[in-house]
Amino acid sequence: MQGIVLIGILVSTYLMVIAKRMPALIRSFAWQSFFLFLETLVIARQECQLGLYLVAGLLLVIKVSLIPYLLHRIINKTKVSQDLGLFINPQMSLLCALCFTCLAWIFSVRLDVFGNQMQVSIFAIAFFMVLVGLFLMISRMTALAQIVGLLVMENGLFLLASTVSGGMPFFVEIAIFFDVFVSVIIMGLFVYRINKLFTHIDVNKLTRLKG
Amino acid sequence: MKILILILQLLLFITLAPFLSGLITKIKNYLRMRKGQSVLQPYYNLAKLFSKSEVVSETASWIFKVTPFVVFSSALAASLLIPLFIFANSLYQMGDFLALIFIFTLGRFFLALSALDTGGSFGGMGSSREMFISSLVEPVICLIVFSLFLQFGSTNILAFSGLHAISVSSIVAAAALFFVAIAETSRVPVDNQETHLELTMVHEAMLLEYSGRSLAFLEMASYIKQMIWFFLIAQIIFPISLFGFFSLAQAGLWLLWYLTRIFIIAIAVALVEVTVAKMRLFRVADFLGFAFVLGVVAAVCAILGV
Amino acid sequence: MTNILPKQIFLFDPLSLFFLAVILIVSLPSAVYSFGYLKEYSSRKIILAWFLLFAFVLSMALVVSVGNALVFLVAWEIMSLVSYFLVVFDTTHEKSIKAGMIYIVMTHIGTAFLIAAFMILHNYAHSFDFTAIKNASFMIPQGTKNIIFLLFLVGFGTKAGIVPLHIWLPYAHPQAPSHISSIMSGVMIKTAIYGIIRFVIFILGVNSSWWGILILILAVITCLVGIIYALMERDIKRLLAYSSVENIGIILLGVGLAMYFYSKNMPFLAVFSLIAGLYHLVNHAIFKGLLFLCAGSVYKATGVRDIEKLGGLIKKMPQTAVYFLIGAMAISALPPLNGFVSEWLVLQAFFLGAFHAAGGAKLFLGICAGMLALTSGLAAACFVKAFGITFLAKSRSNYAVNAKEVSLSMKLGMLILSLLTIAFGLAATSIIKLLTRVAGLSTGIDISNMKFSLNNFILKPQAASNIYLSTPLLTLVLILLALAGFVIYMSFGREKTRIYKTWDCGYYKLDSRNEYSATAFTKPLRIAFSFFLLPYRKTQKIRETFYHVRSFTYETHTTKVFKKYIYDPLIALVFKSAKSMRRIQPGSIHLYLGYIFVTLLLLLIFMQKF
Repeated sequence: MQGIVLIGILVSTYLMVIAKRMPALIRSFAWQSFFLFLETLVIARQECQLGLYLVAGLLLVIKVSLIPYLLHRIINKTKVSQDLGLFINPQMSLLCALCFTCLAWIFSVRLDVFGNQMQVSIFAIAFFMVLVGLFLMISRMTALAQIVGLLVMENGLFLLASTVSGGMPFFVEIAIFFDVFVSVIIMGLFVYRINKLFTHIDVNKLTRLKG
Repeated sequence: MKILILILQLLLFITLAPFLSGLITKIKNYLRMRKGQSVLQPYYNLAKLFSKSEVVSETASWIFKVTPFVVFSSALAASLLIPLFIFANSLYQMGDFLALIFIFTLGRFFLALSALDTGGSFGGMGSSREMFISSLVEPVICLIVFSLFLQFGSTNILAFSGLHAISVSSIVAAAALFFVAIAETSRVPVDNQETHLELTMVHEAMLLEYSGRSLAFLEMASYIKQMIWFFLIAQIIFPISLFGFFSLAQAGLWLLWYLTRIFIIAIAVALVEVTVAKMRLFRVADFLGFAFVLGVVAAVCAILGV
Repeated sequence: MTNILPKQIFLFDPLSLFFLAVILIVSLPSAVYSFGYLKEYSSRKIILAWFLLFAFVLSMALVVSVGNALVFLVAWEIMSLVSYFLVVFDTTHEKSIKAGMIYIVMTHIGTAFLIAAFMILHNYAHSFDFTAIKNASFMIPQGTKNIIFLLFLVGFGTKAGIVPLHIWLPYAHPQAPSHISSIMSGVMIKTAIYGIIRFVIFILGVNSSWWGILILILAVITCLVGIIYALMERDIKRLLAYSSVENIGIILLGVGLAMYFYSKNMPFLAVFSLIAGLYHLVNHAIFKGLLFLCAGSVYKATGVRDIEKLGGLIKKMPQTAVYFLIGAMAISALPPLNGFVSEWLVLQAFFLGAFHAAGGAKLFLGICAGMLALTSGLAAACFVKAFGITFLAKSRSNYAVNAKEVSLSMKLGMLILSLLTIAFGLAATSIIKLLTRVAGLSTGIDISNMKFSLNNFILKPQAASNIYLSTPLLTLVLILLALAGFVIYMSFGREKTRIYKTWDCGYYKLDSRNEYSATAFTKPLRIAFSFFLLPYRKTQKIRETFYHVRSFTYETHTTKVFKKYIYDPLIALVFKSAKSMRRIQPGSIHLYLGYIFVTLLLLLIFMQKF
């Protein structure tokens, strides 16, 4: 059961990497968050922590529903081009993602602190999500991709924390969720403002400001 | 008692100083095939100046009025440092050769200031040129004192005031000192004391605004300075023993020899003045540079013990 | 690193006490002076000025009295920072800001060298305490000692103003308020000399003769460069700043001689030279402090610092003129003031040393002494110009016509320093007795048998030969002879003195434009030293017709040799390398994130190595 969920996370992450347009990216992110929600439920049952159930619920509400909805709204409101602006084409991005997977796997094997095989896999996937989040921020031109990359990194860290230490303290989790939610709202506002001023949200054009 | 003898000797020294200047002028005139003024003319000039009243510029301040006294007292204080006729009676505890140089600088400083004080172009010009020449003369004097120090072991003027052997170093040092004396006493080729053209003056330009008794003091001070410089040169190349004597005749002969040496130097100066033309101001730097080289040679000879 | 926090911070030995005394001697009159000087600033600025002054004096006192290298560095930094704020105090002039910038950069470069030297010393001594470092200094190999010496020389030389590290002095000292200039020029640059004496002579111990010779050569160059530039200046405070450079050279001549004689095992001469250097240090502090205060008074009364716009101030500001005259006489080494005694002592140190030294060194010392005499003569010329053009003759512009004498507190400050100038000249023997103890401690030589004076009035450098100097006797003789002259003058009856115009060669409309100007005064010297000053002129004629010239502009400049040939190329090099390094910053967020990402990946891959 857990294996299927993990594969789901992996596949949705790959989907994010090869996405060429914004709605695709957001949809993949929603799927990734959904699978992450399922994974959290499994861990919660394993560790028998009531707090994790609540956190999973929050994950469902915020990351699966609210945030993708907000992001879709931003795209529709700003009427900006839905092209993501790729530095690295989808095929090459997929290749990189595969390399990251291998790297994360070797890293977590070498760490040699885990008991069973499942934990090694979860750690590897979580680390892989962090790397993919950073990769998205680097290789996509638009500001929206930066937001999504940040959210993916946050997902990965959440998974990492849940695996290694059985979840972070409850209040920390609540606080992080709240922070993430608010930051998405703020970033959305900024994207709206940037678009209003410059009529595009291409971050690459910032190089024109070089002195 | 000692102080009384010191003061008497000082007065004798002062009275003979204008005579030296008169002598030099007389010799120059003879060389120019003229009869010229009498040897005692400087005394007559001083007497005349004391009887005249003064005209003071309206831009002058108290520095102008104080300068003649400062210059006069600095010249006299310097003369107290050299043995005036009797050996043990110089005020050697007051200072040495270096102190002598700095005392002359004191007089020159105030004279240059008073020249600027009157607000005329000629005073400023004389002041500027005088400070230029004097600052270039200082390293030469320092090297001469240095070579004397190496030879005699002390900068005290009494150290070379006894009978000593004349070495190559002494001769070269005396030659360098001759150059310095020409520059310091404002003689041709550095400066012409007989000129009437203000644009060629150096020392005279600083005295231009002075008249009456103040001018007399300044003239007197320059005569005394001249006497001091010539004495120093004479002592280095014609050494004389200044210790006590046993009879009056001996004392008389000795006094004669004391004065004759200075007059020999005076004759040499007069010859130089007549034969050489006055140099342009910027050539004076080369002149003094040559004197500096002579000073270095004197120092090297002293090091080598020659 | 167990001994970072010191058990005993302060080290009050004769050397520290001497420097503390110097600090107080100059700071107190300057503080009194600043009452009147700061009157026209806003009350907020006055409070700030007083606070900064207090902090400045306190930091300098800390620098000379601590016994721990770390605390020394902290105090040094505080001193530099507070003085920076004081330099840019008058922020309305943009020149102040530029001056402050140059000052802070140069002083921090010096501090960097100091930190390097202290680190190396700590490596051997495992402690920052001075006594521990001194005890460990025997173990340091000679090569390392040489490096430490050079680091200290550059570090302290930047603060002292040794050529070619002196360029901040002519910018910073004129821009600061005058009482601060006097403290900076009088005391702050002397703390660098304290550093050299404390760290090189006292702690490190001199045992190679080339150290002393290097310092002597640098000192001679500093003297000559300083005074030649001072002669060419027409801004009175910048003239005084360059003259400070020259006097630091003279102090270093004494210190360098002490190091040379110490390394050649001539203890008597080492102590004597160090006494000469220290005496000149305290003298320069006093008369340079006095001169800066007088320059500040002139600036406050007239509003300009350019002496070619002044003149005739002796009638408008008689007391300031007297104080400036005393300061000018002292710095030109005229008897019987203090400058004369200390220069005489340095020259005697040269001569005595040359008498006892080996062959080649004799000539070297003689020529150095000749160069010292040259700078002394040039200094006299410089201050004849400074005093004569500023105070004497007629006013050259309206600034000088409307000048008024300054307030009581300013006069009081100047009076105290003038009295000290005269006192330090007359009381030479007593001062030398005090300095003997200081010099004895610094060099570690036993001074119990050394006597430098015959009785309380006569100085006698060495017991064997018979060289004497007595300033009280000299003063007495000069005054008596002047009085005698005056009596003779008066004995010829009171004639009436007629006041009339200056001799004007028959022209009747001569005014202040016919007076000699400062630039003209030093023209012969500008030509004599043109190989170094590289003067050039710019002329511009505007003609209406061929025969009618409407205006003719003539400018003469001297080339700023150090700026042009050393600092400008260096700064250009720094900018060029910075520009080429800027290529890693193109402004793209993605690239910056990429840097982080690649670093992360590399760390992951090569994790085992770490």
